Amino acid sequence: HPPQVGLLAEPHHLGTYIAFGNETNGSPDFFVLTNGHTVNHIVNGKVKWSWTSEDKGSLVTYSNLITTSQSIYVIGLAKSFASYTLHVTTLSPVTGEVISTSHIPSSISNGLTDFIVLDQAASRPHIVWVENNNLQFLELSPTLQKKPSFPKDKLFTKISDVGLGTRGLFVALKEDGTGHIMAINSGFMESIKEFESSAHSESATESLYAGGLDKNETPYVARVYWSHALRLVSVELYAPYHGGGQGLLSGFSFAFDTYQHGVVSHVTFDAANPQPYQVIGRIAITTSTGSIQLWQQDTRQWTREEGLADINAVQFVELPEKLADKSERSEGSFGRFERQLRDAKDFPKYLMRFVKRFATGAYESVTSPASAHAATTGIPSRDTFGFRQLIVAATTHGKVYGIDSSNGKIIWSRILGLGSKAEDGAKIVPIEKKLFVVKTVGDVDGNAEVSGPGVPEVVLVGKRGATTGNLLYHFNALTGEDVMSSKKSSNLRLLQGTEVADSVIDAYCLNAEDKGKVVVVLDSEMKVHLYPDTTTSRALFSSYISSFAVPIRLSDATQGQYRVVGHQITASTGLSKKPEFSAYPTWTLSLPEGEDIQSIVPSTGGPVASIGKVLGNRTTLYKYLNQRMFILLTEPHSRSSVVASSASSSNHKTVCGLYLVDSLKGSIVYKTKLPVSSTGSCDVKAVLTENWLVYHYYDDEYRGTGQAKGYRIVSVELYEGKQPDDKIRSSDMTSYSDKNLDITAYAQSFVYLHGVTAIATTSTKFGITSKDIIVANTNNKIQSLSRRLLNPRRPIGRKPTTEEIEEQLVQYDPLLPDDPRRVISHRYVVANTRQIITSPALLESTSLVFAYGLDLFLTRVAPSSTFDVLNENFNKMQLVLTVSGLAVAILITKPMVHRKRLKEKWYQ
Amino acid sequence: MARPTVLFLLCSSLLFAVTCALELNGKISWNDVCPDYKQLGRARVVLDDGDLSGSVVKDGSFSISNVSVGTHVLSVLAHDHWFDQLRIDVIDKTTIEVRPYVVGTPLNPPSQVLLAYPITVEAKGKYNYFVPPESFNLMGMLGSPMMLIMILGGAMVLGLPYLMKNMDPEALAELKDQQAKMSQMQNAMTSGDFRGLSALMAAPEDNRQNQPATQSPSTGKAQGGKGRSNKHKKH
Repeated sequence: HPPQVGLLAEPHHLGTYIAFGNETNGSPDFFVLTNGHTVNHIVNGKVKWSWTSEDKGSLVTYSNLITTSQSIYVIGLAKSFASYTLHVTTLSPVTGEVISTSHIPSSISNGLTDFIVLDQAASRPHIVWVENNNLQFLELSPTLQKKPSFPKDKLFTKISDVGLGTRGLFVALKEDGTGHIMAINSGFMESIKEFESSAHSESATESLYAGGLDKNETPYVARVYWSHALRLVSVELYAPYHGGGQGLLSGFSFAFDTYQHGVVSHVTFDAANPQPYQVIGRIAITTSTGSIQLWQQDTRQWTREEGLADINAVQFVELPEKLADKSERSEGSFGRFERQLRDAKDFPKYLMRFVKRFATGAYESVTSPASAHAATTGIPSRDTFGFRQLIVAATTHGKVYGIDSSNGKIIWSRILGLGSKAEDGAKIVPIEKKLFVVKTVGDVDGNAEVSGPGVPEVVLVGKRGATTGNLLYHFNALTGEDVMSSKKSSNLRLLQGTEVADSVIDAYCLNAEDKGKVVVVLDSEMKVHLYPDTTTSRALFSSYISSFAVPIRLSDATQGQYRVVGHQITASTGLSKKPEFSAYPTWTLSLPEGEDIQSIVPSTGGPVASIGKVLGNRTTLYKYLNQRMFILLTEPHSRSSVVASSASSSNHKTVCGLYLVDSLKGSIVYKTKLPVSSTGSCDVKAVLTENWLVYHYYDDEYRGTGQAKGYRIVSVELYEGKQPDDKIRSSDMTSYSDKNLDITAYAQSFVYLHGVTAIATTSTKFGITSKDIIVANTNNKIQSLSRRLLNPRRPIGRKPTTEEIEEQLVQYDPLLPDDPRRVISHRYVVANTRQIITSPALLESTSLVFAYGLDLFLTRVAPSSTFDVLNENFNKMQLVLTVSGLAVAILITKPMVHRKRLKEKWYQ
Repeated sequence: MARPTVLFLLCSSLLFAVTCALELNGKISWNDVCPDYKQLGRARVVLDDGDLSGSVVKDGSFSISNVSVGTHVLSVLAHDHWFDQLRIDVIDKTTIEVRPYVVGTPLNPPSQVLLAYPITVEAKGKYNYFVPPESFNLMGMLGSPMMLIMILGGAMVLGLPYLMKNMDPEALAELKDQQAKMSQMQNAMTSGDFRGLSALMAAPEDNRQNQPATQSPSTGKAQGGKGRSNKHKKH
């Protein structure tokens, strides 16, 4: 049927089912259930017959199909008061006519999880369900005449489908948790096997049951549980048809690292039976941290950290330089002599290496892969140019990873602990992007000579999933060790956090240059919590209070929409004589009717190398450098968009808004209106750095002259004053000055071929290198767009003048070329990128780019090419050859000249 | 007449369909750039901003369903190949017009060229992500002008004495004279004696006056050279 009559269902597989027909004479033959009420018989890609239930799914939602040679059973649930009733319809497989339809008197409370269809090839199909904590089953016949019956043992309260319905096997649980493997034999249901001591107990967790097959398609049933006493995951495998028909039980345990991977959440397995009375299990598990593991008996075959697809906070951390061994410093003179003697035997090798390096120029180069010289063991250390950094990433599964940027290896990983108010099943979800580097390699305690380079430390703000409460984690970025608790024994355990506020609105990191960094957490009562909460950090914070202004998105209860309210901090002396800080609102932004705040994008910080741009005619455009600017993206208000679509004839047109707002005063520096996409949502991606704003959107309008549908990238540059050489010193001007809005915006729009899912600028150490825009596009590529092409001052419709050529301006062309050589992900497919972050390397010219989303991708880019290292193409071979050629020439000619001189003297 | 009414009935009977939409079909024709599906990889055909899309199946065909009446821009998203965009005008249920569209140009007025429906697109090129690195090669190195000058210079250094031997004595004397002047100038330059240099450069008359003085040692040398050449003749 056409997709537009499709029904949205939750879960998505509800109401769809495919069964294979019996008449498989070479052509595919399916019975397809869709929408919960339509069955199609499809032979050879064509619909042979179609049946739709009379009520069109309004009463009965079908979920399963069983095909037999006589009839097709369509099984579903009908809604009734407080529970569901099973409903079965039988259809003729040949014509699709209804043979019979009947409600089975039953009441199922949990919907789909409470009934199982057993479809054995040998016998008639059965349905098993749980009703009022009792098990019932029914044999199905085409005329549906049978009555439900009960098993002999009436104590089962739960059933678990282990996927062995075609073998007639399932697992039923008694009230105390004891699991039984059940089967139906000649009209009676009986327990084949009871899993011993599988009842609820203090010593083990709840069991998970799974079914599997071996090569000969013999069924097995497994029970998997975590034993608190053994601290192992135990597996019991039962093969009902092995062991001479008596059934064969075998078991094994494996050392599952619960502090690394959380708890087992799903299990599946297959088994092998190499000898009678021996069963080998191979078990695949998924864990609560999102990793997938395969275990063969008690050895782990592999682990995949699929949780890394759900990163929501990430930071680059610089690595410390590699230090000489500690032992080298403390050795005596004799010891040193001995060591040098020991090292001397490597001298010939060293000489060889030196000569080779001298001859070929095989020094560290910018294009050499960083993974080549990655240390294999120990704490990672920096490489020559600082390309090797550590990526600290926190996932929504409540786990933090330290990833080596040179080869993508996970160096350490820790699970975030739940804190004191721990609850079962709760987990910590890191707040989006609230991961701060509070200490870098450069921050050294005391004397650098004594303590060596500083150990980078990271603070993460996490929110407890189910209950309220927020925790703050402070850990060593190199090893993942907890910084707060000094106990080394807790290294292997969960990462422990400290409780901060109950409901955190926002968190910031105050960077006070050389005095240290303070994490500022703002809760919903506008109270400010500092971390670390010491007198020095409080004093530091109070000295920065006047310049600390934050915009906060608040939901407005009366309007049902969001507002942006600017806040500043005030200090007051509390009861305990400690200064307490709280935020108070200073301004509210009033938006046009029907606009709602979508998101706030802060400006990309970083050092500013120049405050102006010198033009070709020796005048200067001074950049408008307002550190307090942020981007505000708005979308049509949900209520007003409904109104607008219903009254589409009216002229009222919804727009997406983009504003640049000053966070201290709330004044709008720049604003623009963008068209809404066809679905009525706004998908604008924007980035702001220094005085340069770049945004991307889709323009749907094509009817006007000169218009075309397509993606646009708009580049906006803000300069001070009305013309070149006007100067208002915006970088250190107060927001309250009335000259603050005396600016000129140069804007230009370009056509881009693809949609963009993430946008960022490159960042370098001193900000001298020109900044490129990095975009992740919908064609699964990461591309860098040159600053030169995005310059809004490109001359339009004429050749650039000599002055403009001096500025490296090229003629405006609406289309940004889709240059494959600027695709930095080249042939890799990087799908569903959500965010891109960049980090400076030690080289000024180079910036590291990390894109995350479904795939993780890291590379380095040099927007102005690597000007600070010797060009890769520099031909050292040529230099060496030339020099040595000259040397040879001198050697040859010297005796010649000497002889000649001698001769001359002799004969004169 | 019967056909539209049937369609109308069909459309109105669909509960969830807001507009009466149709399915757009097309095919990627394999060419030299992209000979088969394996080369193409997973690709998608999208309309406008990607709300409506269809995947390219193994034989190269694709279909986008639920396309509404209006003008659309069709583009093919393939990772390694690039395709031209097309302008699709869905006028009503049965009439679909396909036109070529050049990116970055206005959609209106439409192009006069009409393409056939079902849509046929073919790959226009393959993305080349890499620039080959400059490799070391001896011939290239020797062929460079800098290198040629150096080799020539070396040959001159070695070959000059023989050349001088076979030269006319007068010409040789003149050359020597010039050389001496040059070396004088060079000396003045290196010693920073600009006065002497300017004197050398500016006053050719003075030079002429000095000439006998400078000439006498040079003639002596030339004689020496003559003597040597005489000896050479004797040999």
